Amino acid sequence: MSNSETMVDTAPAPATPESEVKVAAGAHLTLVERLIMPTILIVVLFGLPWFHPGYRLLSLATSTGVSAIALYGLAILVGQAGIMSVGHAALMGVGAYTGAILSRDLGMNLWTALPFAAIFSALAAGLVGLPSLRVGGHHFVIITFAFCGLLAIVLTNGGAFTGAASGLDIGAIAPLFGVSFGKLQNVYLLVAFFVLASIALTWLVMVSRYGRTLRSIRENEKLASALGIDVRFHKIVAFMLSGAFAGVAGILQVYFLQHISPELFGAFPSVYIALMVMLGGPRMLYGPLAGALIVTFLPEVLNLDPIDARIAYGIGLIAVILLLPGGVMAGLASLYRTLRSKVARA
Amino acid sequence: MEIFLQQLVNSLSVASVIILIGIGITLIFGLTGIINFAHGEFLMIGGMTTWLVVSNGGGFIIGLVAAVLFVGLLGFVLERGLFRLTLDRPMNGFIISLGLIVVLQHFVIRFWNSYQKSIPEPLSGVWEIGGVQIIVMRAVVVLITAVVVAITFFGISRSRYGLALRASVADQETASLMGVPVRRYITGVFIYGSMLAGLGGALMIALFPITPFIGSTIVVRGFAVALIGGLGNVAGAVVAGLVLGLMDGLSAGYGLPEWTEAYSFALMILILLLRPNGLLGGTAGPRAV
Amino acid sequence: MSALEISGLRKTFGGVVALDGVDLSIDLDEILGIVGPNGSGKTTLFNVVTGALKPTAGSVRWRGENIAGLPAHQIARKGLVRTFQQAMSFPALSVRENILIAHEHGAASVNGKSMSPSDILHFVGLKGREEEIAGSMPFGNLRRLGVALALAARPALLLLDEPAAGLNDGETEQLAEIILQLPGRGIGVCLIDHDMNLIASICRRLVVLNFGVKIAEGPPNKVLNDKKVVEVYLGAPT
Repeated sequence: MSNSETMVDTAPAPATPESEVKVAAGAHLTLVERLIMPTILIVVLFGLPWFHPGYRLLSLATSTGVSAIALYGLAILVGQAGIMSVGHAALMGVGAYTGAILSRDLGMNLWTALPFAAIFSALAAGLVGLPSLRVGGHHFVIITFAFCGLLAIVLTNGGAFTGAASGLDIGAIAPLFGVSFGKLQNVYLLVAFFVLASIALTWLVMVSRYGRTLRSIRENEKLASALGIDVRFHKIVAFMLSGAFAGVAGILQVYFLQHISPELFGAFPSVYIALMVMLGGPRMLYGPLAGALIVTFLPEVLNLDPIDARIAYGIGLIAVILLLPGGVMAGLASLYRTLRSKVARA
Repeated sequence: MEIFLQQLVNSLSVASVIILIGIGITLIFGLTGIINFAHGEFLMIGGMTTWLVVSNGGGFIIGLVAAVLFVGLLGFVLERGLFRLTLDRPMNGFIISLGLIVVLQHFVIRFWNSYQKSIPEPLSGVWEIGGVQIIVMRAVVVLITAVVVAITFFGISRSRYGLALRASVADQETASLMGVPVRRYITGVFIYGSMLAGLGGALMIALFPITPFIGSTIVVRGFAVALIGGLGNVAGAVVAGLVLGLMDGLSAGYGLPEWTEAYSFALMILILLLRPNGLLGGTAGPRAV
Repeated sequence: MSALEISGLRKTFGGVVALDGVDLSIDLDEILGIVGPNGSGKTTLFNVVTGALKPTAGSVRWRGENIAGLPAHQIARKGLVRTFQQAMSFPALSVRENILIAHEHGAASVNGKSMSPSDILHFVGLKGREEEIAGSMPFGNLRRLGVALALAARPALLLLDEPAAGLNDGETEQLAEIILQLPGRGIGVCLIDHDMNLIASICRRLVVLNFGVKIAEGPPNKVLNDKKVVEVYLGAPT
């Protein structure tokens, strides 16, 4: 028996001093603290139109909301299951084109086409997820990128069916229960409703048995399967769930813009989606929303021209990843905990 | 047949640029696990450097040398300043490289707008060999690449440093236990890979006009080449680069140019699924996320 | 017939033979120790039995059913649960979440009376640490958590891969006490370890592997004095 190996095997590991043992994040929050964020969210989200924000701001808020829905889908995949994908714009594209083509060829409206957009995107996501069962983290990220590039090419070369490079047009959102969506305000409120639903659904995933299962896969695949978890099955399900979010975001996007073209769903938008999630904090409930808000509204607030805004965004992102690897919201949460324990001690 | 041969020669010059990018990626990714998606932007910066030098009255050779040195320096600064800090969390390194794409691209657009840039052909003229017309500049690009590939290959397979490098690619921990200064090798490889990207950019702008957006198409080919050839495997990258380059050139020459990019995507997905270690074998890469 | 019957089990990696026709049987009322030098095939045996690796040849019969080659999670659901030397826990999650995950999955049918997550934490001595983040705990507690997770998965047979590695004498003793109680609770135990004191004190039966072959089997005092075993551990007499 080789001596060096024995030494490695039996050498006591460095013990963690008792004082450095960390405690779970949300462990001791009071009910009031738990309700602060949802209350602010609902008030701001649905109160915005009553502040007469103007067309430009409302339109920005609507498109931010649309992105946020897709971001929540990706956050479940990255934050909970621990699988990175840079192909998410392609999944949005599947939803968007499903909506546009069903409207053109079958005369379906947003409401009837919505389930199909979600289902087709989920199926596409399951397909993109299949290679993750065979190849590990790094290789897989590149595969998702390649899938995304492939889809953009297919859409561009799809001829009349996909409208080729110039894309497809679509009519307005059909009225529902007597509510017309001719006014931007109502489109905004509709998107706000879906954002809230996405956050609620993500919360349900996070606190449920299913969320724990996904986190176990993220943390330790080997141990998860040794405890009876079907890792491969759950990875694909996580992908499909994530894809359904992207499909809903996609069809809302096409009805909001009333026009789509392939470049909306290519490699670059995909990269942006991944970056927004990482910026906000993929494991935090409000991380994706924060990421979307920062990227869309910070340039407006700072009054930067689009090019400078992109540069500032890139630099800001790099700084966040280096300084707060868990994203902005994780940084804020830990700041809050520190302050709270100082106040409690004082 | 003549047309076929002509297309073949033309494709070789495209393949050359892809090979230069692919070798940089295969070494950097294979050794450090850094997925530097901004590697394509490094090439773009190389091309833009050459364009700046040439359009300010410098010669192409000066432009080429400037591109290699400047991008090498850029690689050094970014490795020490950013990527080094993420070596234990490779996924963060990847995210940072995505941020870098945005920064580098828009930096160039901000100062030199987003239109395509070109330089006058450094070498004009056409050789005719047995009815096949060969554009001289393209032949020179292939030649330069061949020399660089040969130097890289022998440097890695014959020299003491190359041996230590391959040992580090195969198993960083053991290599560093045996006294290989792995961290310095990582910096060295990053700089070398960056210089190859700078060279690729200079050669590319000698062949075609380039835009600030060229990076994302190129980097995907580069990763395709690195993964198809097997990580850390220079010979594999050359073979894979030739295959992709020829596929590109021939599909463009035989009437399906709009699907050109799709082939490399599809081939890459297929190979990664069927043979995760690449066609010619390489390391499986450093540990996953 | 024993609960687990392994016969002619063979595993090769390329040209390297890691297991060369191993026969082994384990009952659910015993603690079996498997020892052998590094590279003798102990961990490979665990990996093949629990589905982490597919065997090259041979059969693994669990309660009469051949489970060789089944995926790991299906084997775990049948009540064959293992621990790992290194990957003991879900590091970024709290102890509570760790144990809940194991409890919510694991074996489908309950074998005997099963313990609740809080009973298990009490049993392994982690009561009161539910909110601690697993990865930030001291090593000794991490080992306990590893055992706790496996127990929460309701095993009928528990396979422990070097459970005492990295523990000090006091911690090892506490672990031995925990393991010794398991057969009484209807859980069979099979463990690999280098710590001969631990093995000799809790196992009534030992199996010695060398180069993927079983070279001895029997009570500890007899096996550890076996000429072949002494040769393997001390080198051949010169």
